Amino acid sequence: MARQGMRGWTRGWAVLRAVSVVTYKEWAAYRTHSLVSAFVGPVYFVVQYFIWTAVYADAGTLHGLELTQMIRYFGAATLIGYLTMDFADWNLSMLVRTGRYLTFALRPVHHRSFAFAQKVGHRTLGFAFEFVPCLAIFVLLFRVDMRPAAIGWLVVTLALAFLMGFLVRYCLGLTSFWLVEAGGLQGVFALLSGLFSGALIPLVFFPHWLQVAQFFLPFQYMVYVPAMVFTGTYSLGSIAMSVPQVVGCQAGAVVVMYALSEVLYRAAMRRFTDAGS
Amino acid sequence: MRRYLAAYRVCLRIAVRQATTYRASFVLSSLIALAANLAFPLVTVLIYGSGAGFPGWTADEVLLIQAVFTLSTGLSGMVLGAVVWVTTLRVREGTLEVVLLKPLRPLPFIVLTTVQPESAGVGLGGAVLMGWAASRSVHGLTAAGVLAFLGLFVAGLCVMAGVALIMAATSFRWVGNARLPEIADSVHAFGRHPLRVFPGAVQGAVTFVVPVAMVGFYPASALLGREAAGMWPAAAMCVAFLAGGVWLYHRQIRNYQGVGG
Repeated sequence: MARQGMRGWTRGWAVLRAVSVVTYKEWAAYRTHSLVSAFVGPVYFVVQYFIWTAVYADAGTLHGLELTQMIRYFGAATLIGYLTMDFADWNLSMLVRTGRYLTFALRPVHHRSFAFAQKVGHRTLGFAFEFVPCLAIFVLLFRVDMRPAAIGWLVVTLALAFLMGFLVRYCLGLTSFWLVEAGGLQGVFALLSGLFSGALIPLVFFPHWLQVAQFFLPFQYMVYVPAMVFTGTYSLGSIAMSVPQVVGCQAGAVVVMYALSEVLYRAAMRRFTDAGS
Repeated sequence: MRRYLAAYRVCLRIAVRQATTYRASFVLSSLIALAANLAFPLVTVLIYGSGAGFPGWTADEVLLIQAVFTLSTGLSGMVLGAVVWVTTLRVREGTLEVVLLKPLRPLPFIVLTTVQPESAGVGLGGAVLMGWAASRSVHGLTAAGVLAFLGLFVAGLCVMAGVALIMAATSFRWVGNARLPEIADSVHAFGRHPLRVFPGAVQGAVTFVVPVAMVGFYPASALLGREAAGMWPAAAMCVAFLAGGVWLYHRQIRNYQGVGG
């Protein structure tokens, strides 16, 4: 039994490595496209820097955040975006719409594992061509203190944010088995995610009831939680938590999202029909 | 000119009919585009709601800047919104010669055939927000103020068009890069806020080099009766900026290589 389990892990690791390496090579052909981030990220950051410097001119703290903390928050939020960016929904929708999903249904690999490995490969490229250049610009050019409050917890929360982003997008992609064209739903999600992930503004600026609602939605676990773990404090909806507590909440949310993705996947497979591809 | 206007009329009719064929998709994509553009005003509301703000500017005045910006985004998006990705796509696929063989100049042809009615929702939303913000922040509106607003607003549209054309021209060199519009969006971010929050060098750059401050800040300032230094020379720069974009686009077409579409 133990040997079987070990064999399964070994095989899973081999698949993950193979698919992610191939995805990395595939996207590395367009690596200069990733370098757009080295311009876009710092430009947005500069805008945020000046906006918040002006806003803080007459205020010492806003919702418990000082200016330096706010600048660090936006720096972290930008970089987290590069590490966790995902388009599993778009990929899966395309496969369903074009009928090409059939070829995946016949493979001896769960499509979710395949898609996850693709994300690992794609984000490895993002790490090299988006994260590292932007981090260097933030630290060396803008002199922003990008040292995390607790490196160990940051690694854990980033891994969970990576998983959360993937699982949410994958669930969105699964809706294509019912909707076929899920572009509208994806657009709505992108909008809500942009607002409630904390990428635009820290969530503590929202009305209290919306802050509380975020505990039951997936958005904050993708950007806000890891960004706040980076700064070393966490508070939302008048609830302050220690870093281990909020990372624990994030882990719980990831487990729930994984279960939801499994339920949706099984329902989608029961619904799936194809006539050959 | 008459030929272009006739072609535009036909293309507009086709675009509207297409949009009404897929009504649900049209309404949904219009609403999403509008909501995405209203994210920045929402941030402004949240900042002022927390008791902070931009020194010297009320929430309604900042919302007016962002409403004018949204209106400009909607109008320019209708006309030029698809030029970047259509050019990028055609260059990548090697099908631009199909456009080059048409009996119209390539840039006007692409502009005419890629009308985006979805952006009308953004423009409409911007106009509504502008009316609301203006009713709360503009006091003693004069005819001169309205005329100044219109002149500067048109100059802002020139900037939006110029930026789009520069990005489209870049796609001849940076082939297949679907992320070019992100560069334009990031630069636009400077135009959505009161200019004075930025340091002098940045103010100069976004007024005279890439004059995105003309898209929202200067027209709104004219409505508010706040004369800003360098307003009119900057407006002249905007026209030059658009001319530069057109020139660059045509210049880069020469670099296009294809094997028959």
